[in-house]
Amino acid sequence: MKLIELLLSPIAFSIGFLAPLLAQVLLAINTELSTPVAYGTGLAISISLGIVAQNRGSWLWVKDHESDHE
Amino acid sequence: MNKATAGLDSLSESELDVLERKIAGKYMHMVPWGAVVWGIGNLIAWLAVWPLVLMDIIPLWLGFVIATLNVALSYLPSHEAQHNIIASKGQPLRWLNEVVGHLSTIPLVLPYRVLRYTHYEHHSHTNDPQLDPDFNIHANSGWHFLWKSIMNRQPESARSKAYPETLQRTGNEHMILDAIIYQSMYLVIMFTLAWTGYAIEAALLWWVPKQIATTYIEYYLSWAPHHPGKEQGRYTDTRGFKSRLGNLLSMGMQYHIIHHLYPRIPLSLTPAAYRELKPILQRRACNLGEL
Repeated sequence: MKLIELLLSPIAFSIGFLAPLLAQVLLAINTELSTPVAYGTGLAISISLGIVAQNRGSWLWVKDHESDHE
Repeated sequence: MNKATAGLDSLSESELDVLERKIAGKYMHMVPWGAVVWGIGNLIAWLAVWPLVLMDIIPLWLGFVIATLNVALSYLPSHEAQHNIIASKGQPLRWLNEVVGHLSTIPLVLPYRVLRYTHYEHHSHTNDPQLDPDFNIHANSGWHFLWKSIMNRQPESARSKAYPETLQRTGNEHMILDAIIYQSMYLVIMFTLAWTGYAIEAALLWWVPKQIATTYIEYYLSWAPHHPGKEQGRYTDTRGFKSRLGNLLSMGMQYHIIHHLYPRIPLSLTPAAYRELKPILQRRACNLGEL
């Protein structure tokens, strides 16, 4: 169960998907960039976002009840 | 009272009920073969896009466009199955109803049983802030809907908890496992593709199309037909509306009021049923907008 919780967590999504996505986008934009630098940058950005999402419950910092001014 | 409803004035409430049900009955109890072909064909088309893109037979941008259409079109055939429109329990084609229901929403990563039972609760409690599992979709305007739609997809949003809570409340909590299995499989596939060098393809053939399609489906199936979402009751919880995009691009949802009144009428027949029932709906003071 712990493994499933981890798999479904924002941190897992940031490392498992966002990091390689950002790295491959960087490599596609700048072909002279080295692969380790691209993946290092991807991991740094995505893990930062993942920590925000994990702790705040929102990838955008703002939470749904905070954004609703009805 | 206008000309169309003038002839109905002499009818009592019970006579009006009988007439309404008689008209609606003409549009029920037929197999919507178009939805069957649509549901299965759409899934096959989406699956075919993957090898076509990965083998460089079609460009990624084209794959993205096709995949986005496929994911956006994947919900409605399952919706027909959720309401047993293809075949009810005990009918010979029941298996087909369930096959379409299960298969068509795979691109949306939404399990059929979860959708079915939460959707029944939506029908039973439309616009009820406590009991309608789709209540979080309500918003003051189209732009407000868009913002809420983004916020609803955050990990700790009320929307992300609405379906599990509904399943628990109705004694169907075992179906939460379906959602966990679907989501786990989706993530394992996405992570594997991403770390084997196909992250951009995975993003543009599944992740981004799923985000766009979710917004589109929620806008036309949940927000627009129930806006402003303040009324409860058979004839007041859903409205008719005229979409700027027309009936096809709004996925037939201009006539969603017919679906809420008679969920067994196939989607393709709701416009005809609406036209015939319109005078009765006017007499019932339904909100039909410009439709």
